[in-house]
Amino acid sequence: MTTVLVLLLLLAAGTYLVAVLEAWTASGRFRLAGPVVAGIALLGREFIVPRKPDRIFFEVAPVLLLLSALLAAAVVPLTPDLIITDLATGALFINAALVYVLVALLMAGWGPNGAYAMIGGWRFLGQLIAYAMLIVMPITAVVMRAESLLTTRIVASQAGLWNIVYQPLGFMLFFVAAMALAFLPPFDLPTAKAELAGGVEAEYSGVRLAIFRLGRLALIVTLAAAAVVFYLGGWQGPWLPPWAWSAIKILAVCATMLLAGRAMPRVRDADLLHWCWILGIPLALLNIFLVGLLVLVLP
Amino acid sequence: MSAQTFFIGFFGLAAVWFGVVVFRTHSMVRSALALLFSQTALGALFLSMQAEFLGVLQIMMMATEMSIMAIFMVMFMMDPGGLGEMDMTHQKRLSLAAGFVAFAAAVAAAVFVDWGPVAGVAPDAAQQTHDLGIELLGRSMLIFETAGVTILTAMIAATAVAMPAVKRIGNK
Amino acid sequence: MIAGARQGKLSGLRRLTALAMARDLRAFIVPGADIARAHGLDIEAAGMQVVASPRHASVLLVVGVIPPALREAAAVIYAQMMRPRALFVLGPDELDQLPEADIREDLSQQDLIRGVRRLRSAFAEGAFRPDVADFDAPVLHVRIQYTCPMHPEVVQDEPGSCPKCGMNLVAREAPATAGHTHADQPELIVDADTHATPAQDHAAQHGMNHDAPAEYTCPMHPEVVQNEPGSCPECGMNLELRETKGTKSHEDAGISPDSDHSSMDHNHMDHGDMAFMSMVGVTKDLPRSSDGLPMDWIDVPFGPFFPGLPGGLLLTLTLDGDTVAGSSVQTPGGNEELLQHSALDAGSFIERLAKVEPLAPVSYRLLACRATENAAGVEVPAATACARVGALERERIASHLGWLALFGQQTGFDWLQRCAASLQLKVQNAGIRQVLALKPDIAFLIKRLHRTPLLKSRTAGVGRLAPNAALRGPVARAAGIGNDARSTDPSYAALGFTPVCREGCDALARLQVRVEEITHGLALIVAAGAIELPAPINIGEASGAGEAAVETPRGVARLRLTLEKGRVTAAQLETPSTLHLALIDPLIKQLALGDALLAIGSLDLAPWEVRQ
Repeated sequence: MTTVLVLLLLLAAGTYLVAVLEAWTASGRFRLAGPVVAGIALLGREFIVPRKPDRIFFEVAPVLLLLSALLAAAVVPLTPDLIITDLATGALFINAALVYVLVALLMAGWGPNGAYAMIGGWRFLGQLIAYAMLIVMPITAVVMRAESLLTTRIVASQAGLWNIVYQPLGFMLFFVAAMALAFLPPFDLPTAKAELAGGVEAEYSGVRLAIFRLGRLALIVTLAAAAVVFYLGGWQGPWLPPWAWSAIKILAVCATMLLAGRAMPRVRDADLLHWCWILGIPLALLNIFLVGLLVLVLP
Repeated sequence: MSAQTFFIGFFGLAAVWFGVVVFRTHSMVRSALALLFSQTALGALFLSMQAEFLGVLQIMMMATEMSIMAIFMVMFMMDPGGLGEMDMTHQKRLSLAAGFVAFAAAVAAAVFVDWGPVAGVAPDAAQQTHDLGIELLGRSMLIFETAGVTILTAMIAATAVAMPAVKRIGNK
Repeated sequence: MIAGARQGKLSGLRRLTALAMARDLRAFIVPGADIARAHGLDIEAAGMQVVASPRHASVLLVVGVIPPALREAAAVIYAQMMRPRALFVLGPDELDQLPEADIREDLSQQDLIRGVRRLRSAFAEGAFRPDVADFDAPVLHVRIQYTCPMHPEVVQDEPGSCPKCGMNLVAREAPATAGHTHADQPELIVDADTHATPAQDHAAQHGMNHDAPAEYTCPMHPEVVQNEPGSCPECGMNLELRETKGTKSHEDAGISPDSDHSSMDHNHMDHGDMAFMSMVGVTKDLPRSSDGLPMDWIDVPFGPFFPGLPGGLLLTLTLDGDTVAGSSVQTPGGNEELLQHSALDAGSFIERLAKVEPLAPVSYRLLACRATENAAGVEVPAATACARVGALERERIASHLGWLALFGQQTGFDWLQRCAASLQLKVQNAGIRQVLALKPDIAFLIKRLHRTPLLKSRTAGVGRLAPNAALRGPVARAAGIGNDARSTDPSYAALGFTPVCREGCDALARLQVRVEEITHGLALIVAAGAIELPAPINIGEASGAGEAAVETPRGVARLRLTLEKGRVTAAQLETPSTLHLALIDPLIKQLALGDALLAIGSLDLAPWEVRQ
């Protein structure tokens, strides 16, 4: 129970820092109090229900987004003991939980009965077709090396050499796919500001908007944590205690994800599909093959 | 009543309830997502029966599949949005009959099949996955896995070939 | 105190949220960020965050003059915002549809900053009030009507029962009818979802021609036709309303002729021999788009205050999935009266023309000066002409930087948007020294732009326009047409001017032309050595006819005018955006939504200068 509370608090802290970072990368202003002010202000603001909404979808979507990020976080270890549940299918479970991000976005897009939101929601479905395989296949290669789906074992398997060195190709693919999953720029097709006026977010206001944004930030933290566990050796590192290493690495991955997208234009959805299928998936297959060879050759 | 029994019952009922919703709603997206949550509840049912791998797999696979089904329904049908009060049922008598027959068959199978001795403890998840693979594929494991990878490669290759060459007019 | 306060007493926790709201001001800009920048306003520096959707805004920031045609749209935007919401008006404008402005200031950065300070205290003290009146404007009302489910010809504005069958009438959103000339406006508004979104509102669309003879048919079994609604005897589906052919009654009301595509598509299908629920059968007669997937068509309004388009542009896209199947464009055209006037003395005429186009005031001022001088037969001293070139080129640089900011916003390229916008603000009123001091910053921006990944693949091939006579300005030069009014200008010739030319014909070429023109403009300013706003020269009591052409940042603008005793009695203006507007529809057909918006953006339209 205490583990759950501690992890939730840590996740909240991480989410907060990521919110500060995101505001900084988006507007160039570093304000430590920004997210809390914005959050409190949203609590006081009105929650508008659009006309003729699919009310159930509209209300459930932000909660489902937050929930799927939290569920995925449940199998991510910060230290050998600091993990909510060390599922035997952990690496697969992260995937299963994160697929519901898609469901949440579809519901958020369909619910308000508005064209911008709807197009945003369906766009994300197209985006899933592009990134989904690039999440699963690199994880497969990671699991091959660890010979286990347990996330703690995956970290332990990198004791000698982190996976980012062992399988750099897999890391790059996973990193890009994770950015697409969290619809971060340049993959922010479902929430494109100047194409869809906010897309799936466009109709949310007040508390629900706050929950939606919170869920999205939690999703970024969770994905960064997953990338750390799969590729950056998790809690391992010299001198500092394990939790500190986890925190530093997760924040560094978050910052890289946020900064990477600000310096380039948004990817066109057709191009994203094109590159993911023509280039990404063959590379992911190659990665699996190479890792298979390495696992056989190296002791 | 143990917690396990409670959750099995709860998720079972949830699966049935969402299954009913599929036909009671007038909106196709709701219908598709209700089917999704029905399947998710089945996955949770597996989980509460300690079949971890099957449960997680079910929960993962269905989300994508049902979402894609939803978009195809919306794209092709003439009544998106459910504002036209579309009826999700058709061929009612046939479906009723088929439903009853299937239900009776399932009950009969559950009651009359000899399921063997009841296991005391469920094996751990890794062992389960191993056993499941052996049970399903047996000696043909390697053949099936090779075929699986081959089919996947073929699918990707087919997609790559099917894409028209993107014309880029060069700019100097 | 703010008029759009939220209901409730200001106490305890609410006081805290009110303080937070005062710190966290989110503004939706009307008519758009480009206009705000053209007026020299830096909204973010003043302490407000700019948002893309009115649902996320707490402040409606109105900048400058809003033509009457756009006021209803502004009222709808206001109605869509979260309470507590405030109306912050910069400039002298009267806004008849909106409530009284909470804060009103003049159009300048200092006044903006002072207004934000006042806004903060207004939020902190008046975000919640026990007695609040709902915002009410006529434009929010026209769309609810009551109709009988059995007798679609019964339509009235109040609920009640049907005079024919006594059933209770049901509410529905009324379509545009000839009686309400502006009733179609809400559909043109960004985020029109408090109104009939054409997307999923088939009920409204089917009711479109409500006094046409109606019949009901099964979508699956076309042979089932009856005069009353009900369910199909064969499959039990609810029957759909369809109009009998040849009764397009209300299409003259200004709505786009595409607006009932979806109902049309459904009704004209022939499912005679298809198998039950066969996708092929269902979709075989739907129009195909470029991706080959037949889908339900929806009309989506973009503008007039859409964040990714020039402010004031009213664009309605018919979308087939994510692909554009058709479009219609409208512009505010609110400045027409500037030329329809009684005789004006030359000085006021020049001032008036300078206000025609808020995005390029210097160019139009210069145009008016030159035309009057030409009519009066006055020669301008070479030094003045040279300094005028400096001013025109400075405006071109500022305008192209503003375009880069919009381009950055459209493509989600935040760095470019921020950097170009801040440079534009610095350049547009800078003296010659400041402009020269900004040279390294501009050079850095351009260098970084050249190195940006994905930029080429994002823009190459988008919005291709074959060279034709309707192209003007950078759009023409990006299509290899080297016509540039500056080439024939002696003061430019003295500075060694050659037009920039590209052959690409697409958005990338337009980007490259504009970027290069920024560099060229800087060189021209250096050569000119001075920047001086064109000022009217005293022409006395001269009479005659004159004309002039100026290469504005968007292309050549021509002005013909007649002078009678020093007064302008007739004037005729030809602007580049007017011609470009007609190019939009063929340009974006069958493009994906993102590409379509990018293609429109690459034309750099100025909706304000359009003359209809």
